[in-house]
Amino acid sequence: MTGRPASRDTLASAEEPVVFVVDDDASMREALSNLFRSVGLRVEVFGSAHEFLQSTLPNVASCLILDIRLPRLSGLDFQAELAKADIRIPIIFMTGHGDIPMTVRAMKAGAVDFLTKPFRDQDMLDAVTTAIERDRISRDEAKVLSGLHARFATLTPREREVMALVTAGRMNKQIAAEIGIAEITVKIHRGHIMRKMTAKSLPDLVRMAEMLGIGPASGGPQT
Amino acid sequence: MLPMMRNQTMKSWRSAEQWLLGSMVLALAAAAFIWLVLGPAPAAPAHLTAVVLLIASLLASLIMMRRVGTTRRQMEAVLHGRARAEQHAMEAQRHSEAQWKEVFEHNPVMYFMVDAAGTVLSVNTFGAAQLGYSVSELLGQSVLKVFPAEEQHAAQTNVAICLENIGQTHSWEICKVRKDGSSLWVRENAKAVRRVDNQLIVLIACEDITERKQAENALRQSEMYLAEAQRLSRTGSFGWCAGSDEIIWSEETFRIFGFDKAPSIKRATVIQRIHPDDRARVLRITGRALSDWKDFEHGYRLLMPDGSVKHVHVRTHAVKDTSSGIDFVGAVSDVTARKEAEAELHEAQANLAHVTRVTALGELAASIAHEVNQPLAAVVTNAAACLRWLDREPANLKEARSVVQSIVKDGNRAGEVIQRVRALANKTTDQKTPLDINEVVNEVISLAQHELSSHRVALRLELAPALPLVLADRIQLQQVILNLVINAIEAMQPVKDRPRELVIRTRQDEAGQVLVTVSDCGVGVAAENADRLFDAFFTTKSSGMGMGLSICRSIVNAHGGRLSAFGNAGPGATFQFTLPWHRGHST
Repeated sequence: MTGRPASRDTLASAEEPVVFVVDDDASMREALSNLFRSVGLRVEVFGSAHEFLQSTLPNVASCLILDIRLPRLSGLDFQAELAKADIRIPIIFMTGHGDIPMTVRAMKAGAVDFLTKPFRDQDMLDAVTTAIERDRISRDEAKVLSGLHARFATLTPREREVMALVTAGRMNKQIAAEIGIAEITVKIHRGHIMRKMTAKSLPDLVRMAEMLGIGPASGGPQT
Repeated sequence: MLPMMRNQTMKSWRSAEQWLLGSMVLALAAAAFIWLVLGPAPAAPAHLTAVVLLIASLLASLIMMRRVGTTRRQMEAVLHGRARAEQHAMEAQRHSEAQWKEVFEHNPVMYFMVDAAGTVLSVNTFGAAQLGYSVSELLGQSVLKVFPAEEQHAAQTNVAICLENIGQTHSWEICKVRKDGSSLWVRENAKAVRRVDNQLIVLIACEDITERKQAENALRQSEMYLAEAQRLSRTGSFGWCAGSDEIIWSEETFRIFGFDKAPSIKRATVIQRIHPDDRARVLRITGRALSDWKDFEHGYRLLMPDGSVKHVHVRTHAVKDTSSGIDFVGAVSDVTARKEAEAELHEAQANLAHVTRVTALGELAASIAHEVNQPLAAVVTNAAACLRWLDREPANLKEARSVVQSIVKDGNRAGEVIQRVRALANKTTDQKTPLDINEVVNEVISLAQHELSSHRVALRLELAPALPLVLADRIQLQQVILNLVINAIEAMQPVKDRPRELVIRTRQDEAGQVLVTVSDCGVGVAAENADRLFDAFFTTKSSGMGMGLSICRSIVNAHGGRLSAFGNAGPGATFQFTLPWHRGHST
């Protein structure tokens, strides 16, 4: 079973989370596929990192289960490669035997979990659940952030300038003095900003500014 | 006596002649006188008749005298001739005696004549000279003078035997001593005879056999040397007369086979001593040798009466010249000690091979653990999945069954790995069976797979299909391949600038042998190390024992193959070995 048993599920529901498995051992791929399918998880298996990179990934919550010792490209190198390619996917590492330096490296690089073969099925499922949840959150956050970015993009440069000063806690009068405009003009800008950013209150706007990384020193969002 | 008789005869003959002649003359004269005196008348015719008669008688006497003279001359001539002939004969006899004496004197045979007491009555000059004496020095002396003390008794006995059997010839060999003390060996022919004067004497003819004795001694000594050499080398010799089914053995051969010495021995007896397991083979080989009549060589075991086993090696030469009656000559060596040493050596080598094998396994420990762990993890995960399929409402039996099948498969896989490891870790005895070399390569790779991947070594297998089988010990071959693979991985360890690739190829070479090559792209073999590569205890590794390749070579050699190494055209080295293919089978 080296195929992709999840393909028909992909058609059924595009929103369902997917578990990706990369292991050079066919038995292990098959076993993991059996396990995830038995709990109703979509799963896609790959024999090598290369195969995984060749495939088009669905835009749904997912996680990657990776054997740390892979032929040619090791799991850790693969992790680095994915980070370089800006593919943010939670990774659960599997190893044949507890290898502490490798574990440390993997966890530092952001691995969700590190399981030693043979592992308890519940541990694996818990790890997968956690990873998928984390991915879902980060995907949601990313979605929110991208909405913010989109809204922030509608602001005029002057409005962005005013927003940075407002969220930094300056009074209208101070802002007017600082950038050399009338206080009333500042008030008008604030009104536009609140509406364009769909901020319900000043604290709401401050939170948005934090998410966008806007400070008084910088004129734009830091991503 | 004979000449005297002749003279008498001659005399008698002469007197008879005279008597006859005289009486005839008297008779004629008387007739003439009577006629003249007493005639009837002195008539003229009567006178005339008387005169005629007288003349006639005179004539008759004259004729008679002449005839008698002639006869006598003839007679004398005959007698004279006879006398001369007799004289010649006597002279010839004298001459012949002198010649004989000459012969006896100078014949290289010593003649002695001794009396019953052993006193020398006569000796020829040669005989005396041979012993360093003059004739006069020996005459009248005891003959024991010419015998050494230890032979005197024998000499006396011999003479006594002759005296007891008069007229019979006896002969013996005895040692004599010369005047100067040196000794000489003689063969004596002796006979006791009774002389005219009734004295018993012993005539002895002695022939100098010192040279022959020396030759005999030399021969005996040489035989002794040979026997000693045979004993020391534990090699006996034999001659086999196939026609009469007789085998002639040397002393050492008897000793090796543990039989009592006998002039000859039957083949059936020898066969009895041969180990029952070897008998059929020996009979086959010797039977073939008999029909082919060719040189042959073989080894077999002997089962001795005490239950011990001897190993012998026999080389036999077919004798083409049958004048001796021997068809085969050969040498049989007791190689038991050598065989035992070989067995010990073999055991030591097997132990060493085992140690290096276990060491190699140790190097692969992580890889092997992985190879066992992988299917184990799959089993555990599958089992969990199976439970979950069964726990569903309703239970998905189809999936559960499929998963259980995977569990069985993976469980077996783990078991196979463990069996392979155990086989390699075990001490095993040689078990040569027909093998598919590709299978052996795959078995080794299955253990080293993880080692390869963890060292980032890409493996390329180029295994020729349908190779002939090889007759080999599976474990030993695995060890060789394992060693070469581990070495290759280590050789590529320092390589950072190019992909690490290991290529294992199998194929049949030009000579029809099965060839296995293991090529790496590692550091290669330094030229100065090339010669020592296969030496025991030679290593370039900090932790190596230096036994791996040495053992590999001895394993391959024991399989009738050859292990060699050479540098690649590019980076790295190639190790390769050949194995003769198993002629009994082919795929």
